[in-house]
Amino acid sequence: MKKVALYLIPLGLFLGLILFLYQGLFSNPREHQSSLLEQPMPEFVLPDLMNIEQTYTEDVFLGKVTLLNVWGVWCITCAVELPYLKQLQNEGKHIVGLYFDQDIDPDFGIKTVARVQQEVTDKLSQLGNPYAYNIFDVKRDLSMDLGVTGAPETYLIDQQGKIRLHHIGDINPRVWNKKFAAIYHELVAQ
Amino acid sequence: MKRLVSTLFVVMLACLSSLVVATEDKFHFDSPEKTALFVELTKELRCPKCQNQNIADSDAMIAVDLKRKVYELLQKDYDKEQVIDFMKQRYGDFVYYQPPVNPMTIWLWLLPVLFIFTALAGIVITRKRQVVEMDSEQLAKAQAILERDE
Repeated sequence: MKKVALYLIPLGLFLGLILFLYQGLFSNPREHQSSLLEQPMPEFVLPDLMNIEQTYTEDVFLGKVTLLNVWGVWCITCAVELPYLKQLQNEGKHIVGLYFDQDIDPDFGIKTVARVQQEVTDKLSQLGNPYAYNIFDVKRDLSMDLGVTGAPETYLIDQQGKIRLHHIGDINPRVWNKKFAAIYHELVAQ
Repeated sequence: MKRLVSTLFVVMLACLSSLVVATEDKFHFDSPEKTALFVELTKELRCPKCQNQNIADSDAMIAVDLKRKVYELLQKDYDKEQVIDFMKQRYGDFVYYQPPVNPMTIWLWLLPVLFIFTALAGIVITRKRQVVEMDSEQLAKAQAILERDE
């Protein structure tokens, strides 16, 4: 009897290893805890994309539950999620765009603002505009402070201006229901 | 013809070398220590987008931005730890290749040690038992032979 127990130990260890490796097959390496959760929005002073004279600061998020969507016209997945974001906006969600441009290299700076505005207007009139307004992250500083790795990414910000959720990738009905819906409704009810 | 080819080759080389100079000029430091630290940091910081590359290797936009940030911070006289902390605050422990020791990652160091010790203990125990069994068996056999001879 004791001998059987002894043989079961390596079998148990083996099964444990198999289980550990098996669940690894379904984990997403791109998903990792954002270090900014429960933190207030980083400080910033950035212009409105369509009206460069107007500037926003982190205080603009106070008092409303906001979805901050990081995007750009050059990003294909962003174009895919735009119609769904439009639908969310039609349902009454407050969506703000954080726009940054790939071609504006702070070291070389070639593209004019007027050109960027034209591209954005074209894209949004074609696919629908879900944004209350767009913040223009000229040198991608705010994106860096937010830990943005690419586009699209979306942040859920509560009434106190704190970041409650950080999603890397597009938003679709599945992601919304699984990740956003519960916490969004809880925040709105507050 | 031969001459043309060689001229073309020289022109190509010239283009290449000017490219190299351009990338080096982009991040220029006053002191060689800072240059060395910059090279070291960009090798040890991980690109958040293309996960198996460091930011020195990667051409993703985010990696370019991170490199520029490292450059900026070093110009502001940040030391190595401060730059790493700056990045970790934004991108998490993930951004640095050396994982921190905490209750979750401690197993990375403990497990191999534990494994070695259990394996050693196992070997010692089975060895001991075998020796004892062999001895008593052989003794009995020897005793039998002795008795037969008498």
